[in-house]
Amino acid sequence: MSAPAGDPDASPVRVLVADDDADIRDLVEFKLTQAGYAVEAVPDGVSAWEAFEANPPQLAVLDVMMPGLSGIDVLRKIRESGHPSVPVLLLSAKSRDSDVDTGFAVGADDYVIKPFSPRELLHRVNGMLARAR
Amino acid sequence: MVGAALLVGATVVILGACLLLVILVVAVRARRHSRNQRDEMLLSPLRPPLITVASGEDDDGAATEELTWATGVSRTVLDRNIVEMLTKIRGVPADQLVRVLEVHGAVDAAVADLTSRSTVRRARAAQLLGLAKAEHTVPLLVTALGDEAMEVRNSAAYALGLIGDPVAAGPVLAAIGAPERGLPAATAAEALQSMGVGISEVLRDGMGDPNARTRMVAAHLSGERSFTRGLPELRRLLDDDPDVTVRETSATAIGRLGRGEDVAILVRHTVDSEPLALRRACVIALGELGDPAAVPALATLLADADPRLAELAASALLTMGPDGSSALLGHEDDAAVRSARLMASLQRASA
Amino acid sequence: MSWDGLIEGLRSFVVWVMDVSSVPIIIYFLLINTSLLVLIGLAYLEFRAQQRRRATALTWQGAGLAPGVSLLVPAYNEEAGIVTAVKSFLTLRYPRHEVVVVDDGSSDQTFARLEEAFDLVQVPRELPHEVPVRARVLGIWVPRDGRTRLVVVRKENSGRSEAINVAINAASEPLVAMIDGDSILEPDGLLHVTRPFADDPTRMVATGGAIRPVNGSRVVSGRIVRVEMPQTWIPRIQLVEYLRAFLLGRTGWSRVGGLILISGAFGLFRRDVVVEVGGLDPDSIGEDFELVMRIHKRMRDEGRDYKVEFVPEPVSWTEVPVTATVLRNQRRRWHRGLWETLWAYRSMLFRPKYGRIGFLALPYYWLFELIAPLLEFFGILIVPLALLLGVVNVPFAILFLVLAYGYAVLVTLSAMVVDEWAFHKHDRWRAIWQTIAASVLENIGYRQATVWWRLEGWWSSLRGKKHVWGVMTRTGFDEDPA
Repeated sequence: MSAPAGDPDASPVRVLVADDDADIRDLVEFKLTQAGYAVEAVPDGVSAWEAFEANPPQLAVLDVMMPGLSGIDVLRKIRESGHPSVPVLLLSAKSRDSDVDTGFAVGADDYVIKPFSPRELLHRVNGMLARAR
Repeated sequence: MVGAALLVGATVVILGACLLLVILVVAVRARRHSRNQRDEMLLSPLRPPLITVASGEDDDGAATEELTWATGVSRTVLDRNIVEMLTKIRGVPADQLVRVLEVHGAVDAAVADLTSRSTVRRARAAQLLGLAKAEHTVPLLVTALGDEAMEVRNSAAYALGLIGDPVAAGPVLAAIGAPERGLPAATAAEALQSMGVGISEVLRDGMGDPNARTRMVAAHLSGERSFTRGLPELRRLLDDDPDVTVRETSATAIGRLGRGEDVAILVRHTVDSEPLALRRACVIALGELGDPAAVPALATLLADADPRLAELAASALLTMGPDGSSALLGHEDDAAVRSARLMASLQRASA
Repeated sequence: MSWDGLIEGLRSFVVWVMDVSSVPIIIYFLLINTSLLVLIGLAYLEFRAQQRRRATALTWQGAGLAPGVSLLVPAYNEEAGIVTAVKSFLTLRYPRHEVVVVDDGSSDQTFARLEEAFDLVQVPRELPHEVPVRARVLGIWVPRDGRTRLVVVRKENSGRSEAINVAINAASEPLVAMIDGDSILEPDGLLHVTRPFADDPTRMVATGGAIRPVNGSRVVSGRIVRVEMPQTWIPRIQLVEYLRAFLLGRTGWSRVGGLILISGAFGLFRRDVVVEVGGLDPDSIGEDFELVMRIHKRMRDEGRDYKVEFVPEPVSWTEVPVTATVLRNQRRRWHRGLWETLWAYRSMLFRPKYGRIGFLALPYYWLFELIAPLLEFFGILIVPLALLLGVVNVPFAILFLVLAYGYAVLVTLSAMVVDEWAFHKHDRWRAIWQTIAASVLENIGYRQATVWWRLEGWWSSLRGKKHVWGVMTRTGFDEDPA
């Protein structure tokens, strides 16, 4: 999962992407990699949590609807395990205000609603990292 | 002897059928595996350009071009994948993918498939037309709302919602109550949600429909989308609809968009001869309205025999400023008032 | 009387029994097999419907019409798992739901754990008394954060049914779901079971979703993350039973409009309807089944247009008994509940007012669920005896057994095909072979044991033995999945 570094002086920012949908996983990975991020993409909640624990990324993009552990479950675990500051963006399905409510209640920083514009997703990721610094 | 022969025959049939079923289970699974593998193989060369286009990185249009060249089975598989992709992304990349579908002739093929004999084909065709925002097919999709298969009716409503042309609102609403071939209320509501303001008239008419489900969807959406034009009908439904669910829905809608004069109407239905669920809905609606004219009526409900109704009344009064608060005087020790105060303070602290 | 004379007498007795009983038994056999064939036919229809539904599936996100749901969780001494369970219920994917936990006078730390995890504050609230409750309510608590939608009620111990009735009173949403603290829900399970309510909001009164055994699967934070086969044969065979019950039984009944048993599944009800019929009957042993029957009766008595539907999607997972002792208790209780409820509602049989419930569903349950173990027991007794006494020959007896049990296997296999096509939850090939093996092994020992246990349950009810309340009522579920 190496990425072309945007800035040659700094190592690329690591982003964890979790979505059971291969289309979204691939295109988010592609989009963020193009933008210079180092992306690790995983297909389910458990792998997301394992990847997070093994090497906490600087930002996580989690799909809400995944089999097994949902994005909200993973977020809950992240927040409960002493990583309160890693920004998390939730990918939520269309017109699901409640996912967003639950997500914010558990500690999400931002969300994108599907169907989404990949460009908008990138802007939000950039914005979240800028705010986190 | 005949009995024994019969027994043997039956046993053979049974065991044979068992064997057949085992083979079927295995075949079903094997077929799924091999299908998936075949599709993946066919798609693999097209996957990189597809992802490039879908992620909006195809600035020079080369990847889009590459996708349009696909032929034969790979084109079929690709088109299916594009349709799935369209449920996930929007904006410029989605428009580019629709163009690929058009070049492939998939949109025209879907129009033809709308009258196919296969239910699955008809349903998928309708979905594709919606995802491709094929506005010119609205009349065809409206016809499909009356399809014999529920899957097709559902897909047609979904497509009409995606296209969002308010012309279809009337047919979608009417389809809910079609005898034997009704459109599920949830699908209809979702489709109507995404249509423009032009539907308020249709919703108003829908509240006079003979079918309770249609009236409920119309009432619900009038509230959700704040179409004040429907108020007279909502009041009428609350007053005398034979279906209690419709009445509750109307009360909630009035709470969202009602006016001063609606206080009296809602209050009328908080009397204890009404169903409890409706009384509660009306008290909540009075709180939503927030009009201090409701204070005297809510104050009398503080002593209601139903503790929840009393607490809801207290909560509503707490949102009504000084008038509301003064009505709580003398009830400070009531369980309902103390609970309502505590809940309100917890909610304030978290906000 | 000589030994030989005794044997001879016994032999002529057996011959006589077989002569007398052969016609009724053959009729019964024909009936049960025809009903199985009908079930298989229904399974085929279901198979096609599932195929279409899957191929044209649209994701429903519960926008708009999704009614709010209160999840009712009775808890008795569940300190170990209650916090994880409640957290997993709170984060289900659904636009509007609350969790109502009723601590049924636990003697362990159940309440303390909840209090600590959610920072509970006591509310001086008085509960509505819409459903009559005998036990005293000790207090009501909510989380301090003011937004987590959890209500915890403590009451004196009085059993699961009363705990649920208290929870119904405390619930504030239009739909209520009764779940045990040890069940595991699919993250979007609620979206599946509420869908019929959103599609037909004015008529739907109850829905049920399928349950599957969780034994052997990997669970993390109250969610199934990997579906595996159970390690031992007792739960494996139950897995087969559940498949058959839900994919053929319930779905079939739902299709013909005669669904009377949604309990044992994940059940969701309109709160106002449950209140109207008076909640769960705390004196009934098959309380969930009894509730559904009471709802059917009330709706039909009043001539209301209503629907009860089954959703074949698996929505809930539960631990099934691993030992014969626990299984025996469960089956005795199930059969006793079945008998008591069928008996209580015998007046609904063959009355035109009750339509398919009275003419189809209830007679079926009488004949093929209630009485079946009795006839099977008779067969188990008479066939070996006849063999021993030389009344029938060995090949005939074997053929007879193969035929009888072959049918059972056939039905199970049909359920497997539907499952494999529609859900394929198990992705290992080994799971298929183990399931097939379980469907055969079921007929060797397991089946005979359950026949006996079911008769035990029935018998204890007939003798008027009082059912003992307490811990036992809280294990497993409360209805026969068959």
